[in-house]
Amino acid sequence: MGEVKEKKTSKSDEISEEIPGVITTTTSAIHNLIKKSKAQDIINWGRKNSLWFMTQPMGCCGVEMIATGCAHYDTDRFGIIPRNSPRQADVMIISGYVTKKYLPALKRLWEQMPAPKWVISMGDCSISGGPFYESYSTVQNIDEIFPIDVYIPGCPPRPEALLQGFVELQEKIKAKKDRGTEY
Amino acid sequence: MDVTEILKSLTGKFPEAISEATADSEIRARAYVDKEKAKEVCQYLKDALQFDHLCSVCGVDYIKRNELEVVYHIASYDHPVVLMLKARLPRDSPEVESIVSVYWNANWYERETYELFGILFKNHPNLKPLVLPEDMLGEWPLRKDYEGFPNKTARNLV
Repeated sequence: MGEVKEKKTSKSDEISEEIPGVITTTTSAIHNLIKKSKAQDIINWGRKNSLWFMTQPMGCCGVEMIATGCAHYDTDRFGIIPRNSPRQADVMIISGYVTKKYLPALKRLWEQMPAPKWVISMGDCSISGGPFYESYSTVQNIDEIFPIDVYIPGCPPRPEALLQGFVELQEKIKAKKDRGTEY
Repeated sequence: MDVTEILKSLTGKFPEAISEATADSEIRARAYVDKEKAKEVCQYLKDALQFDHLCSVCGVDYIKRNELEVVYHIASYDHPVVLMLKARLPRDSPEVESIVSVYWNANWYERETYELFGILFKNHPNLKPLVLPEDMLGEWPLRKDYEGFPNKTARNLV
């Protein structure tokens, strides 16, 4: 059940397509109906238990991210599986400083991910710049570029902290408070 | 060959180009080189004095003297000496001959020195920015009069 962006059509167009005696509907109308019903709870339950994240390490936090995906911390028990392709992933973890040169590549990866998708900001570098705060070559205010749901402070955060961040993201999706979907 | 013999050979070959040649210790030596002769001196060091290993190329900005300096650290596998060669360049048009044809690994060092200090290496095979984005070219971030640091665009999170 992918999110389909609602096409903005003026009301006059809808009226002209209306046939008397026949109830017409659109895909986006069905999606809007589902979002307001209890069915969305079941959909979100499925989504929160299959948060596949993209293996895209950007700094030393990336090592912790890979360690979290490995057998010792075993994120599979939460349904969180590392994926190598952005087209198979639901969660992008910004795991390090974003330089001005790397930002276009990161945006491209984000655009390649199919909706619904979420972002986790991991580590001090991605939250505020960390040791590279006020540097000439890093991007400031990353939260204005990506809709970040969970911030995980630490330099770098331990795998347990990343797991906690995933659990918080699951709670947000369950409560329909995440920024990845419009409810 | 020890450090005094190396310096003697160098100043004997290039009496006008090499100046202020001093030995800091038994393993470290330094010399200023004329910017026109930098490549020839490097060629001589590699061919005649067995200085095979270029450790780094970097730049220094002496804003009070209105000069940029390009610094070459060249070491040898045969005798335990690291030679620091410096070339003074005018700050408004810093240009020096590329030494990529002598030491191939100078390629990326010179590209980085170019993007950070704006020192133009003539006859470089591929002089474009190495780690900075293309649109930052011309800002020369490591010069002392660079105004982009500290970058105060970050919102106060506290």
